[in-house]
Formats: sequence, C-alpha cells, structure tokens
Amino acid sequence: MPRGEFLLEVRCEEIPARMVRRATQDLGSRIFQELLNRKLTPREIETGFTPRRLAVALKGIPGREQDRTEEIVGPPASIAFDDHGKPTKAGEGFARRCGIEARDLERVKTPKGEYAAAVVTTEGRPTLEVLSELVPKAIAELNWAKVMTWGRGVGPWARPVHGIVAVFEGEIVPFELFGIQSGATTCGHPVLSPKAFQVAGFTSYRKKLGKLGIEVNFEERLSKLEVGLSDAAAELGGIVVDDQPLLERLTAMCGTPGVVVGKIDEKHLELPREVLIASLRDHQSAFTVEREGELLPAFLTLMDRADDPEGFVRRGNEWVVEARLEDAAFFFGEDRKKTLAEHAAGLGRLSFHEKLGSYADKTERIVELCKFICRLLDWDDEAQTAAEVARLMKGDLVSEMVREFTSLQGIMGGVYARAEGLDEEVWRSIYEQYMPQGTTDSIASTRVGRVVGLADRIDSVVGVLGIGLTPSGSKDPFGVRRAAQGVVRIALEGEMELDLDLVAARAYKQYGDRLEESAEEVLAIWRPFLFDRIRHILGLEDFSYDEIEAALEVGATNLPDLRARVAAIHTVRDEPGFRSVVLAAKRIANILKGVPEQELRADLLSEPAEKLLYQSYQKLKDEIKKAEHEKRYEECLRTMTSFADVLDHFFVEVLVMDENPDVRNNRVALLQAIQRSLSRTAGLTAVVVERADATEGKQGNG
Amino acid sequence: MHSFQDLILTLSQYWTAQGCVLQQPYDLEVGAGTMHPETFLRVLGPEPWNVVYVQPSRRPADARYGENPFRLGKHYQLQVLLKPSPAGVQALYVQSLEAMGIDLSLHDLRFEEDNWEAPTLGAWGVGWQVMLDGMEITQFTYFQQAGGLALDPVSAEITYGLERITMFLGRKRSLYEIDWVPGGVTYGQVRHQDEVEFSRYYFELADVEFLRTQFDGNEREAVRCLEAELALPAYECALKCSHLFNVLDARGAVSVTERVGLIKRVRRLSVACAKVYVARREDLGYPLLAAEPAERGHSAEPGRPGEPGEPGVEIT
Repeated sequence: MPRGEFLLEVRCEEIPARMVRRATQDLGSRIFQELLNRKLTPREIETGFTPRRLAVALKGIPGREQDRTEEIVGPPASIAFDDHGKPTKAGEGFARRCGIEARDLERVKTPKGEYAAAVVTTEGRPTLEVLSELVPKAIAELNWAKVMTWGRGVGPWARPVHGIVAVFEGEIVPFELFGIQSGATTCGHPVLSPKAFQVAGFTSYRKKLGKLGIEVNFEERLSKLEVGLSDAAAELGGIVVDDQPLLERLTAMCGTPGVVVGKIDEKHLELPREVLIASLRDHQSAFTVEREGELLPAFLTLMDRADDPEGFVRRGNEWVVEARLEDAAFFFGEDRKKTLAEHAAGLGRLSFHEKLGSYADKTERIVELCKFICRLLDWDDEAQTAAEVARLMKGDLVSEMVREFTSLQGIMGGVYARAEGLDEEVWRSIYEQYMPQGTTDSIASTRVGRVVGLADRIDSVVGVLGIGLTPSGSKDPFGVRRAAQGVVRIALEGEMELDLDLVAARAYKQYGDRLEESAEEVLAIWRPFLFDRIRHILGLEDFSYDEIEAALEVGATNLPDLRARVAAIHTVRDEPGFRSVVLAAKRIANILKGVPEQELRADLLSEPAEKLLYQSYQKLKDEIKKAEHEKRYEECLRTMTSFADVLDHFFVEVLVMDENPDVRNNRVALLQAIQRSLSRTAGLTAVVVERADATEGKQGNG
Repeated sequence: MHSFQDLILTLSQYWTAQGCVLQQPYDLEVGAGTMHPETFLRVLGPEPWNVVYVQPSRRPADARYGENPFRLGKHYQLQVLLKPSPAGVQALYVQSLEAMGIDLSLHDLRFEEDNWEAPTLGAWGVGWQVMLDGMEITQFTYFQQAGGLALDPVSAEITYGLERITMFLGRKRSLYEIDWVPGGVTYGQVRHQDEVEFSRYYFELADVEFLRTQFDGNEREAVRCLEAELALPAYECALKCSHLFNVLDARGAVSVTERVGLIKRVRRLSVACAKVYVARREDLGYPLLAAEPAERGHSAEPGRPGEPGEPGVEIT
C-alpha cells in the first residue's frame, strides 16, 4: 500500500470509443484540481482506461489537510471584559459562538482600539475523508457527449456503472454512487477472466490486470497494436495502409489489443482500391495491406483478446468481410448499369435541405455559378468543362455505393466517370470535389476541380446562412466554417483572382425567393466567417496578426490579391521610414476622426511646408495609383515610406487647426486626400509599431 | 444449432426462463419489433414489463427481388424488452449467447456504440451493436424516450437479427440457404417467393393513389380513436400510416418536401397515442404495479450473481 497514493477505478458497461479517452483525463484532472484546492496537491497523476473501466491514480498526496488557525476579532475589549479583566456576558457570548472557552479570549490591538479576539484552530481532516466526499462528485459530474439513465432512473452517466474501486494508502475510501458501494475489488474481462480480485495500489492493479492480458495504459496499448499490425503485415509481405484515426479508435475499443489477420478472395481485388479500403474500414474497422502500392488480398483488424485458439475470430471476420465485399461488388455492378449522368438525373429526389431544395436544384445552381466564376477569372477554356463536371458531380449521391459508404462521396463519382472513359480532367475534378477537407491536405489538382469546389461550397454557405442557420459556438451542423475554410484555401492556393463577394452575391441571387435573410444580411454574416478563416490560414503562413488585419482593412475579398498585400507589408515593415509613415497615418486618422469631407483648393495653401506637402502628394498620388494598378504593392508601400519625411516636416511646421476656418478646412482637405492615397494598399493604421515620443508634434486631436 | 427455428425456440425458452412473457408477432405490417405495442407502449409509464417475441419486420425499400444474398424486404427480429432494465442485463444477454451454443471463451465479443432513433415514434435510446467475431448480431438499447416522453424507469431492449445470426453460425453464403428446419426446409424455400412478389409490388405495382387514400383515411381514423381515448386502436392506425409511408417511399412516390411532411404526420400520431396510453394506464391504476414483486435489491436482480464488489460473471 504505497504512501500517499489514491487509486480509483470505475467499472461500467462499454463506453463509446469516441468519449472514453477524454473522460478519463477529465476525471483525473477534476480530482487533482479538487485536491489542489484543499492544498492536498498530489505529486503525480496517472490515468488509464479500457472500454469497461476508467482508472486514475494520484500519488504523493499528504495524509491529511493542514490544521488551520484563524483569529476572529469580536467586540471591543471595553465591552468584552469587565474592569477586572474578566469576560463579561458579551465576552462569554462571543467565545461561545466561536466554540472556545471564555477564559481563552485574547486581546488584540487594532487601529480602532483594543478588541477581544478568539484564536480558533480547525483541525485538518484526513485525506480519506476528503476523498470520500469529492470523488463521487467528480465521477457524477463528468462531462459526456451523450448521457443515459438506466433502471429506475439511475444516472445520468455515459453507461451503467457496475463497480467502483477507491483505495487510499490501501484503505477503502467509502462512498456510494449510483447505488454502488465503493470497495477494493475488481475483476478482469467479463467473459475471459471474470474472477474478482483485491487491489491495494496502482502498481499491483496494473500488474494483476496485466497478468490477465489487460493493458489499461492507452499509449502502451496503441504501440502494442501498432507493432502487432505491422508484424502481421510484414508476414504477409507488405505494409499496413496507414490510418491513424482507425488505429486510435481500435485502441480505445479494447483492453487486450489482439490482431486478427484475415484473407480476402482474390477476385475482390478487381474492385476499385478506394472501395476496398472504405468497405474494410467503415464496415469492419479493418486495415488493408499493400505492397508497392498494390493491395494484397488480406485485411487486419482488432480482437479484444490475446489469441484465437480455434480460429473462430479470424473465420468470423473473414465471413463478414466476404459478405461485405460481395455486397460492395453487387452495388458496384448495379451502379455501373447506369451512367453517372443517368444517376445525376435522379437527384431531384434527394433533398439538399428542406428549404433549399433538392440536389437537382443545387446542381443547376452550381452549373450557373461555375460559368460565372470562369467569366470573372477569364478562364474561358475551363468554363465548358466546369459546367459539364458540375452537372455530374453530385450524381454519385444517389448511387448504391455512396448510400452505403458516405465517405466515398465524390470519389465514387470520379471512379464511375473514369470507368465510363470520360476525360481525365473531368473524372479527376469530380473525384477531388471535396478537397481540401482540412488544413493539411491539398486542394483539387485541376483548375476545373477548384472552380466546381468553390461554387459548391459558396452555394452551400450562402444557402445555409440565408435561412438563418448561422453557426454559433461549437455548433456548426452544416459545416459552414469548414466550407468557408475550403473556399479560402481553394481561392488562395488555386490563385483564383476574383472577388468572392461577387460570387456570394450571385449565389444569393440564384436561390430566388428561397432565402429568408436579405442579401445584405447574408453578406454581412458571410464576411466575418471568411475573414476568420483568412486570418487562420494566413496566420499559418507566418504572417503576423497585424499584417493580416491591415490588408483586411482594404476589404478585398480577392484572396490572392489580399495575400500579396499581406506579403508586401511583411516585407516592407522593417525598412527605414515605414514606421514613421505608419505613425503619420495614425496621426492623420486621429485628426480626421469625425471630420466631414472638405474641398481642397491649391490657391489657399500658404505655408512652405504645406506647399511642399501638396507637391509631394501630387507625385505620390500618381505613383501609388500606377503601382496599385499593376499590383506592385511593395512599391506602393515604399512610395508611401519615402513620403514620411515630408509629412513629419509638415506636422512640425504647420498647425492644422488654424483659427481661420478656410485655412483649417483646406488643410483638413489636404490630409483627407493624403489619407485616401495612403489607405489604398492596406490599412496602415492597423500595423503595430512602437510609438516614439520624439515625433509627437504640437498637433492635438482634431 | 444452426437452424432458424432452433434459434427462435432457444431464445424464446431462454428469455421465458428469465421471467419474460412469451408474446407473438403483432398482426400488422411493422418496420421493427420496437413498433409492436408490447414495446412502444409498454415502455411508457411506471409499470414493469418483461416480454419476448418474434416480429417479422418490413422494410420495403430494402427488398431486392430475392436476388441479393444479404438483403430482405422482410426480416425477422427476436425482440426482448426488460423494464426496468435490470442491473445485470448485459450478463443476461451474454448468457443467452451461451444458451445458443456459443462458447464465448473462444470468440471475440464486443459492444460498439450504436445509438438508436426513430423520428416517426418520437423515440431514442443509447446502446450498442453487439459484434461477435466482427459480425453484428444484436442491437442493444437503453430506451430513453418514446412518444416524445422521457422514460422512467428505463427499459432495455435487445433485438436479435435472426437471419444474420443463423447465417453467420452456419457460415452460409446467402440468406436463402439458411436451414429453417435443421437439415430440412431452407429459408429460401419458405420465403423466396414472398420476397420476389413483394419486391414487384413495392417497386412496380403498388397503386400510389390508393395508398395515399389509405394513409389519409387511417390518419383520420387514428384521430377519431384518440378523441375517444382509445390508445391501442389509434396506435394501430398510426402503424398502418407508417407502413403505407414506407411503401410509398419505396415506390418512389414521395417527393423531397412531402417526405418531411409525412414523417411529421406519423410522428404526431404516435406521440398523441403515447399520451393517451399513459393517461389510460393511470386511470386503470397501473394494474401491473400491483403484480410487481417487492422492490428488488441491487444485487438481487435476476441473473446477477454475486454481491456488490464481487463481480462474478457480470459484464462490467
């Protein structure tokens, strides 16, 4: 019985793989935090789990809480004590309330005079007692993605609980939860090793379970399974087709990571690779094995036991896989009886969204939006192919195969188009329509694929926002954020020089009267989502926050152009003078805040510094305009930088807020004109620079 | 034991020995054993109920003209309902597999998350699909809500897919090769014509207008029954609507927007039936509460051996 160690195990019915890992960590840190709050800080924490048990071990916990001494100040001494220094009735009452003898009352000096005081010592409670109070709460209050009740309304928890081990320094921490009394007894696998046994500490707990073949440590189990899988693959002369999410899911689904090796009938290798992999993964949670890129007629999967003495597990899995692949072959054959175009003709029966119409309606909208996008981009060569792809791209949604394996949407359409002998550009664009899915995979490899992917996503986002289904917090059931991210990545990495606002507006118009929000409202909601994704994605490219903000202030939704602006600021910001022009721009913005537009009259300029500024501005204006037009943004910024000295000189020599209103307004007008030029490339005022007091002139806030 | 009828007999015997009432299939077309009033209505309210029955279950859209070796327009479920769910229900289930002759010390048995939801019934539950050597053999659900009502006590529902289990244990390549009788009549000989003819009916022949009229008529009738507070007749009409909807859907006669509307109409009926049923049981003074044995202690649930803290063969 290790000193200071607390072992907790909650045994229950099988907790879903997607929840159990986080819940265990959560349980551990809740108890840790509660102990910390009571100054019973554990030195070490370890957690482990299987589908049927959550285990937490906390080590190095002090045996009891520290005693607490506090001084309670009572009535003034003159009231609490009589002339002889004996406690009065009031003094006795105070002592009683504090739980001490009246003769133990003390006197303390305070700024307000002398007072009676009671020094009260609260004895710290034994840790065992503290644990028996806080642990059941921590278990009951775990956050689950989904909870249930059982029996006569017991719960809620993820699944019914059957046993609790709670042992501190070898002694049972007593409590009751869900009708279960905590104890020191657990058991192994319910069928293979059901015999109950006693546990005293985490080490013996792990050891005893280990003897039964049960490993509670997730990482240990994962690496065992990984080794088991790759050994099995090597024996077959191949390697495992990598699938980390599947590996983690399987690890969370067992206590004993056994590997099943099964054979596949050679004839099924005629099925497309994608179908084989998806069928094995989605239906059988099984890995495929490949050699030099070719799948081998075998699969690997998990069993929650160490061995398969009679081969039942292998044969069972093989039988199911065979049935599944027969099924897949049947679906494939059925689907191939129709062309993809014929499948697409049935999209009228598949709802995209109750209010947004069917997939046939969506297809029509995507076709038109593709044409529009190609026109904006001057991609004449792609326009026709994009429209052709758009007509076919959703066809696989009504195929048998995609109904069975939703993960194959798009891919199946591509496979069928390829099998029909359509052009590579066409089938590839269909195949890759859902790319990218995240931040690390690539975008579609063809221009057409990018056009249709962009059109599809913008159509969805505008539609979903248009019927008021704006995502909030972690709730995004229609994947608006992911779609927006796809839009940003496709436009950026696909170098699609077009104004996304125009595309969104067009997408809105195509919905006719289906949408409930106004076009302005939809654009107003759409932009923050887009900008949010732009910030995220450009942030990944090592641009800093203020560089991105500055470019966003120009408001452009032409993303490659936006990116060029960000890059220009990134390059120029450390060049000499840039800081000054940013500060000048900020000062101008300050002066002009809330000032109405004024007319600039050259003849009213009198002071040399302002005349000089005006002349420089004339030159600057044209240079910036020209460079902007040619998208030479670094040059724009450098031109502005060269202007900093003249501006600084002006602010030192000239008072904008002249007493004569005509002079004042004219100077304001000059600054307004300059502000327009300086704001063309990026919002300079958003760039973060250190302030230097030396350049602060005599200008106040206008 | 690899025949269809032996499986039915064994499971019925096992569960009746655990105290279940042996019921018979509901004499209407239903999509699943859950829709039998013995489950859908009995899970409501405070009364205990333990029952086992076979329910032929119709899924018109899954019909395949008797040509697909794995799919049927009608399959057979063996349904067990235990209310309230006993603490040892999982162990009871495991023992039922052993009763089927499966030596679990040689197999891989896993419970994988699979939650269940039936929009037309306003019902949902959480649970698992039970996998034996990689094959799904059972749906195991703790009912949380039915007819839009939260359930207390909670029922455990165990649904065995009889064809799949027999097929799996007998290592058959097709459903139709299953022995219905040991070494005798096959599943195909009993049912193949049924599958072929109903596939033609569902996909080619069913008269859409007639079905719609029937749907509307049954809905009206259900409402009349509800007004008279006749929960069971009303529920029958709702079940008919549900099946008619399934046939219309398989026939390709239900448009995208209509689909949502029809599901809502059926749901409205089943939710209303649930309410009336609960009220009627209350009026009757919950007759089954009286029949219930004295409150059982936590460790004294049927089939739950051992003391608390001594897990025995219980599933944990």
